[in-house]
Amino acid sequence: MTAVVRISSVEKIYPLGKTQVHALSGIDMDIQEGEFTTIAGPSGCGKSTLLNLIGCMDVPTSGEVYIEGLPIAKLSDRELTKLRLEKLGFIFQSFNLIPVLTVFQNVEFPLLLQGRFSRAERQQKVTALLAEVDLTAQQGQRSSELSGGQRQRVAIARALVTGPRIVLADEPTANLDSATGERIIELMKTINRTHKTTFIFSTHDPQVMRQAGRIIRLKDGKVVTGQDS
Amino acid sequence: MSSQLGQLRLISSVALRNLWLDRFRTTIIGALIAFGAFLAVIGLSLLNDVRASMRASITQSVAGDLQIYSANAKDSLTLFGGGGFMGRADIGNLPDFAPYRDEILRHPNVAAFVPMGLDMAVLARGNELDDSLDALRSAIKGKDSAIIAGRVEQVRFQLEQVGLELTARRQLSADQAELEQQERDLKVAAAPEFLQDVSKIGEEKLQFLETRIAPLSGEKLPTYIQYFGTDIAAYLANFPKFHLIEGTLLGPGERGIMLSRKVRDEQLKNSVAKIFDKIHKRLTKRNQSIAGDDECRRFASDLKKQYQQILSYLDRADAEELSRKLTDLGIAAVGGDELVQRLSHQLTMFLTVDDSNFEQRYSWFYANIAPKIRLYEVSPGQTITVRSYTRSGYIKTLPLKVYGIYNFDGLEDSDLAGVLSIMDLVSFRELYGQMTEASRRELDVMRAQVGIKDVSAENAETDLFGSERPATTVAANDKKEAAEPLSVKPRLADQFDPQEVQRGLALNAAIKLKDSGKEERTQQELLAALENRGLKANIVGWQKASGIVGQLVNIVGGTLLFALAIIFLVAFVIVNNSIIVGTLNRTREIGTMRAIGAQRSFIVNLFLAETGITGFFGAISGTALAVLVIILAGRLGIPAGNDIVTFIFSGPRLYPRVHWTVVTTAPILITIVATLASVYAARHAAKIQPADATQEKE
Repeated sequence: MTAVVRISSVEKIYPLGKTQVHALSGIDMDIQEGEFTTIAGPSGCGKSTLLNLIGCMDVPTSGEVYIEGLPIAKLSDRELTKLRLEKLGFIFQSFNLIPVLTVFQNVEFPLLLQGRFSRAERQQKVTALLAEVDLTAQQGQRSSELSGGQRQRVAIARALVTGPRIVLADEPTANLDSATGERIIELMKTINRTHKTTFIFSTHDPQVMRQAGRIIRLKDGKVVTGQDS
Repeated sequence: MSSQLGQLRLISSVALRNLWLDRFRTTIIGALIAFGAFLAVIGLSLLNDVRASMRASITQSVAGDLQIYSANAKDSLTLFGGGGFMGRADIGNLPDFAPYRDEILRHPNVAAFVPMGLDMAVLARGNELDDSLDALRSAIKGKDSAIIAGRVEQVRFQLEQVGLELTARRQLSADQAELEQQERDLKVAAAPEFLQDVSKIGEEKLQFLETRIAPLSGEKLPTYIQYFGTDIAAYLANFPKFHLIEGTLLGPGERGIMLSRKVRDEQLKNSVAKIFDKIHKRLTKRNQSIAGDDECRRFASDLKKQYQQILSYLDRADAEELSRKLTDLGIAAVGGDELVQRLSHQLTMFLTVDDSNFEQRYSWFYANIAPKIRLYEVSPGQTITVRSYTRSGYIKTLPLKVYGIYNFDGLEDSDLAGVLSIMDLVSFRELYGQMTEASRRELDVMRAQVGIKDVSAENAETDLFGSERPATTVAANDKKEAAEPLSVKPRLADQFDPQEVQRGLALNAAIKLKDSGKEERTQQELLAALENRGLKANIVGWQKASGIVGQLVNIVGGTLLFALAIIFLVAFVIVNNSIIVGTLNRTREIGTMRAIGAQRSFIVNLFLAETGITGFFGAISGTALAVLVIILAGRLGIPAGNDIVTFIFSGPRLYPRVHWTVVTTAPILITIVATLASVYAARHAAKIQPADATQEKE
């Protein structure tokens, strides 16, 4: 198996006034293709920082993050953005749909940014995904008219529409009731199986953790268990 | 391609929805931009209108599109209010304009060439007694004894007033000997027998009155008149803003002058009427009150001192009648039987005006007093005497018949442009000091009369001493003529050969173009064409030639553009700030877009699209509103509040037109400017990090 994500001696330090906060220190790990991995730990342990680094939304202070073998530390903002668009999908804790767009348009959004699909192709991709997340009936609605679970399903469809290698999810169930959260994790798992998409998600919910194929525990910016599978 | 279109659609649809979601802010920014567009369109349209109407006023009154003058000019040509030493600019002259004209008329864009000469001179003015004596003199010539008796009566009545003035002066005068002489003279003139027998009023008595008595009645300040001489026929055919108000046009081949209405109203009108007019104008046109306006109060206090200006024009019968009428009006006569004293007092009372009685007194003056006095010192038909300093330095005096009173439409109230009078070119040349054909001939006649002839050296003895002709007799007969300097009183004929103004001296000339849009190009081409012929001259555009008057358009335009720039700067700052504040609320949305793969440029474009759309619709609606207002104002006309605005408007009302160039370009420009105004804010928004997508809303 090849590591889609490799993290090597990564440190992340944030300045905080005159002092510095070591958000991550000395992280090393590989995540293989097709894994369904969760990053667990109490709040402030560095989960989000780690996800941001893997998601190319931030660069490490030292060390290196490789996405499919490509080191990201030296990439420009433009290249990082392109990498996010082409290889990564994102699911947010608060769903982060674009409020002024419909369900269909939200899912179509990354395809339009990619700019290489015809209208018909986009239509076909979006419709198929909406069917998969069971939102065909809601495709013309605004996100504000949807329930939390429905919104997160739209977000999942949006994350998958470009066919990314890795989907990152930051506490995807935190704003959902447990039953809905469970169904969302279930959906993600199904997709993980059918699409062979690598999923990395953070959580502090033990119930959710149990669903994961691998658990990486963080504490004070360091990996406690699950360093390598 | 379809995907780029897709992105564009995405940007515009996100932009539009965001604008809708934030409609309050959108409305404020849109309204601000609409207001800016409204002001810009109104302002620029009015500026165009003002420019066009001032251009018309100036080019169609004196300037023409271009002006040509001598290359040897020391000063630059300034048609209105210019001048070098003593208000007279030295612009040289064109000794013969004909070759210039012929060359210039060859240009396909030239419609006309009108020779001119601009100068100023003193208008000689007599006092009221001089006027009465003139009238008496012509009555005596007319030999109608009834009329003569009337005139005599008027002169006598004025002599009485002179007597009163002298008595008053006695307390002030230092030179008692002179005063006593004056009193003796007056006693002679005022004696009943002096003017008793109409048939015995000869030249001697008249001259005594004119030279010894009239000066006692006071001298009037000389009036300067600015004028230009021109080929009247060519001038009238090409300058449609000339507008005759009274009298007749000066015909081709006629010598004379047409006076500016403004000069006549301000300098040659009876001062009582003038002050009445001034107060009336401030009260009606500026809604002032006498009590509440310093200027009006000053005029009112001047007015009551001016009774003499009525009194001195009246004869005894008119004075008696006026006194009676004033008594009927409720202004009782006090001060005994003496008519002059009684009426003086009544007139002083009458001329004491305040807010309650002004309108009544004003109309009463024009109804009852104005017809009895001479309202204007000069009227069409009269001959005036104009005195100028010629270029060689001596004084030239020329009688000129006043043909008409005129003004330039649109420049009526301009202190600079509204004061030019117009005379024929022949008279102009005479006052300028050039020897014209007519004066040359006249001089020849004089020489013949005086007996001057050319004497050659070899025949000198015979010619000078060998003559049997009694030369002394000739000299004695013409002594008077010969004693006068020849240049002082050239008696030019009232008519001249119209061909005289087709060539010869002019100081400058107006060039009228067929297509005035090509002014600058034609100017260059004309200069080149003249150069080719070896003719040198200055050619300037109307705006330069009209001096400060022409510059006023630029000043008004500059002020307007400055004001617009300030308004736009303020709008710029407000738009910018409001977008930056707006981005704070949208940090998560922008972060999300960035996280899922939107480049910074996408965010910048999104923001530019938002202000672009707001700007476009704002500018369109502001422009539409402005067009409506302009159309409405075009129907009603914008009244000019005061003299300066009247001048800028070139008339009492400005009728604005819709200028399609302004209407089409202004919204586009404003949209672009508004969009550019948001570049900073858009770049600011694009700096939001993708990681900010995970920020929770506060």
